[in-house]
Amino acid sequence: MGKPKAIVDETKCLACGGCISVCPQDALSMRGGKAYVTSNKCISCAICIKTCPIGAIDEEEN
Amino acid sequence: MEYDVVVVGSGPAGSVTARFAAESGAKVLIVERRAEVGVPVLCGEGVSQRIDKWNMLEGKRWIANKVDGARIFSPNGTMVKISAEMAGNETGYVIYRDIFDQDLARSAVKAGAKLMLKTEAKALLKEKGKIAGVKVKQLDDEFEIKADVVVGADGVESKVGKWAGINTTLKPYDLESCAQYTLTNVDCNENCCDFYLGNKIAPGGYVWVFPKGKDSANVGIGVLASLSEKGLALKLLDKFIAGHPELKKGEPVRLIAGAAPVAEPVETVKDNLVLVGDAARHVDPITGGGLTTSLEGGKIAGETIGMAVKEQKFNKETLSPYEADWKKAFGKKLHRNYVVKEIMLDFDDKTLNMLADSVKDYNFEEFHTITLIKALVFKHPTLLKKLAPLIKAAAV
Repeated sequence: MGKPKAIVDETKCLACGGCISVCPQDALSMRGGKAYVTSNKCISCAICIKTCPIGAIDEEEN
Repeated sequence: MEYDVVVVGSGPAGSVTARFAAESGAKVLIVERRAEVGVPVLCGEGVSQRIDKWNMLEGKRWIANKVDGARIFSPNGTMVKISAEMAGNETGYVIYRDIFDQDLARSAVKAGAKLMLKTEAKALLKEKGKIAGVKVKQLDDEFEIKADVVVGADGVESKVGKWAGINTTLKPYDLESCAQYTLTNVDCNENCCDFYLGNKIAPGGYVWVFPKGKDSANVGIGVLASLSEKGLALKLLDKFIAGHPELKKGEPVRLIAGAAPVAEPVETVKDNLVLVGDAARHVDPITGGGLTTSLEGGKIAGETIGMAVKEQKFNKETLSPYEADWKKAFGKKLHRNYVVKEIMLDFDDKTLNMLADSVKDYNFEEFHTITLIKALVFKHPTLLKKLAPLIKAAAV
């Protein structure tokens, strides 16, 4: 089992795009007006989690 | 579907680029993934009155309030007042960004540009290895839009640039993580934009209070992403408001999140492609404000593309006057302010307090670097060492 991946809480996301701009793996994009993590690209660096101004991104529960 | 130019994003930079390209005779399409231009607003909504000079906006409906200057508060509350002329960078008007963006989009449409909503660019269209348009998704339909020039005006995300092989990924120390309430029923000074500095208040950034009227204001925060942790911007913003009774008495009518690049600009021209606005990182690295540079850069981009369409040449060489001209217009300033940003990040609260104390009685209407430095150092000689790199940067 690897490190937990990032996951966006769509009910919290306000679609500012900050997480997308800092993701070193281009694993984030906007989908249906909310940020979305492509899980197999995510390297669990947590940069997006720290960047989100409102705390809408978390580590995925295994 | 074929156009001369396809612009991805209907923000200010995209619309202005589209307008000036269309005015030069190009056939232009703007694609916008959202359902309404300018909505949701993702902006502090403060802008310099320099914007009037360019005559790009019709009417006054986009103006919420006019301010005379700015007040900067150091961590211990020392106030430094700056007149509009000196604060010229990013104060002047507090605006309604949705109306502002729609005004600019209307000008583009009037010039002949087409605009498609709910249309999301998914990838670049390539023909024989060359960029030849974009692949889009519009509601349930996926289709191709052919164009000789693709304009990446897709904001902080800057995916179009990434698809073209430009490294637009921001380092966390080059991004401000932002949150903002529009508060109503508050007491604020409607003549001033206020800025609050301090490493406990907003690490690597600042809190702003931009009055939209005498009882309504945008109260927001930017925290440098490298100094941030999950949800920190909103937490610190709530804490700031709780500590200010004049704001705490109000209620929010809007909450937004935001992300402002505070980076050096990227490469903005490739064969058949240009980047504008936030996507090009045309944002002042000190303030995080990018409206004036987006408008100025967008005009240059549109005119350059118009020339390229006339010549029917779309290689990097033909489009590169855009890059040369925005560098002439504001490239130096962005670079200098990036250097200053890095220096200011080293200032602890004590230094910020000393700085404010030294300049609080300084008349900023008569601004001379040397007299300012004398005033600073006379009061707090230890500042000289801290400021040496700043003085050097200012001399560039």
